Amino acid sequence: MISHLFDQQLPHGVADLFFNDAARKRAVEHALADTFARWGYSEIIPPMFEYYESLAAEAGPQLREEMYRFFDRDGRTLALRADFTIPTARIVGTKLFDRAMPLRFFYVGSAFRYEEPQAGVRREFTQAGIELIGAKTADADAEAIALAMTALRAAGLDEFRFTLGNAAYLQATTRDLALSEADDLALREAIRRKNSPALAQRLDSITLDSARKRALAQLPMLWGGVDALDRAICVNDEARAAIEHLRDVVARLAQFGLQDFVTLDLAENRGMEYYTGVLFEGFVQGLGFAVASGGRYDNLIAHFGRSIPAVGFAIGVERVMMARKARVTIAPDVIAQQYDPRVEKARARGRIVEVDILDRDDAALREYARIRDAREIWWRDGRVEIRQ
Amino acid sequence: MMKIALAKGRLLDPSIKLFESLGYDLRGARDSRKLVIDDAAHGARFLIAKPMDVPIYVEYGAADAGIVGQDALREGSVNVYEPLVLDYGHCRLVVAGKPEYQNAEWRLLAGLRVATKYPRVTRQYFTARGLSSEIIEVYGSVELAPMVGLADLIVDVVDTGRTLRENGLVELDEIFKSQAAFIVNRAAHTLRVDEIRGLIEKIDGTRTNADERG
Repeated sequence: MISHLFDQQLPHGVADLFFNDAARKRAVEHALADTFARWGYSEIIPPMFEYYESLAAEAGPQLREEMYRFFDRDGRTLALRADFTIPTARIVGTKLFDRAMPLRFFYVGSAFRYEEPQAGVRREFTQAGIELIGAKTADADAEAIALAMTALRAAGLDEFRFTLGNAAYLQATTRDLALSEADDLALREAIRRKNSPALAQRLDSITLDSARKRALAQLPMLWGGVDALDRAICVNDEARAAIEHLRDVVARLAQFGLQDFVTLDLAENRGMEYYTGVLFEGFVQGLGFAVASGGRYDNLIAHFGRSIPAVGFAIGVERVMMARKARVTIAPDVIAQQYDPRVEKARARGRIVEVDILDRDDAALREYARIRDAREIWWRDGRVEIRQ
Repeated sequence: MMKIALAKGRLLDPSIKLFESLGYDLRGARDSRKLVIDDAAHGARFLIAKPMDVPIYVEYGAADAGIVGQDALREGSVNVYEPLVLDYGHCRLVVAGKPEYQNAEWRLLAGLRVATKYPRVTRQYFTARGLSSEIIEVYGSVELAPMVGLADLIVDVVDTGRTLRENGLVELDEIFKSQAAFIVNRAAHTLRVDEIRGLIEKIDGTRTNADERG
């Protein structure tokens, strides 16, 4: 029952976490951060808010709309971070551009977006991810994807599969088309939604040579195994290079034994104002929306000074929690009736020991230990009681 | 098991026929008010849902795929794949009102009240044209709203236009044409490539055959 005395509202899209939920969240965060660290990534902690103009850089109109904005006392516009990639790009572009490359950073923390309710969408959400900066190679892309997969495994999700596409393929295929912004948006949306009928209609309404028309028209069907790459029509060298690059990435994933966890998808084109190369999204059994998403963004850091290529991904911690069945217990090992030297020793050894501070009698303490699901009760007289 | 959500109402019968023509067993869907029909032999479970709910089921992955009208799909504004349109469920979403609003007079009015079952699409339509409107969401018999003075205009689907005429309303503008669409959850599309591809090809095949028969 929820007390009516405390009928305090909570804004849409945020949540209170405590007891097992809080423990489960931390367990997921630790498993992910631990994996990132073991691959040589060090933590980066950007501020929770900064100037809107920095965060809006290259963010694309949709993300910009979704940022929480407010003013500081000088009247400058601030914004809460909507992801970690843009703050990291700012830090690298302004402070770390002359360091030995590559830079490997990971992050775990809240990000904020004013989003309409949609599957798996919250307004304060937790991202755990990496940025691999200063390398443009297929090895870098494969490392990012393999690390995302390995991290999901470490978080207890084994049945995953990633879509893998390349934004460069669609960019190359539509290059010099001089489409109006509306046509371009509609074309990309039809491709992204694999809406072949709408795509065919759109292609009929714009002037286009037949090779490009065929290349674009078949995009919704170009998904599955590497055979999807064989079927791609390449209208120029850039398009060919984009397809070859995907082959290279898949070949390198084989070194990790992870090539079978990829579904190639050339229609993938979300966030085109941002991504310049590989694009990937991770899905797990039992969750209808992506748990991880990432890609290559070679032009972002240039906005902050130096042109440095980079690839990265973010895992949605709340989404991992939804898919993860494993229980995390927060039950103490011991409930002690009073504080004594045994307590201190046990704690030093890493056991969780809770000491009664309400002067409970034996019956009350036993009942409390039952509610807390403690494994042992240590009585004042030195007896140890093992609970079942 | 593949879970497929089918929209209730006028799309249900042709959707059942479509899957029956592919060999699925959907007898339960016709005979009863069952909401879940299992065809264990084909590893399929059909969920019969309200049209507006089908896009949500598919977006959340409660269903791997579904058949729904494009009207409900656009209203739902969900992130799903929509690889096929199907040759049934044709209708149009229109703005309608009393005859005095013909000749675009309604565009000049400030503070229009519009009754609809499609608030999102309606809002998009009016704001894209710089028209201020008050949208009243109703759940049935939208045509009643202008008659009783609840609204100036309505936005609703029309098939033949008979209902509009019978209620003394005329069509003022077409927002879009709609027909049935086959939609797919993005996770299922990635996790179950062969099954989804097989289903898309089979459904597409029935359509091609119909075309050939002319």
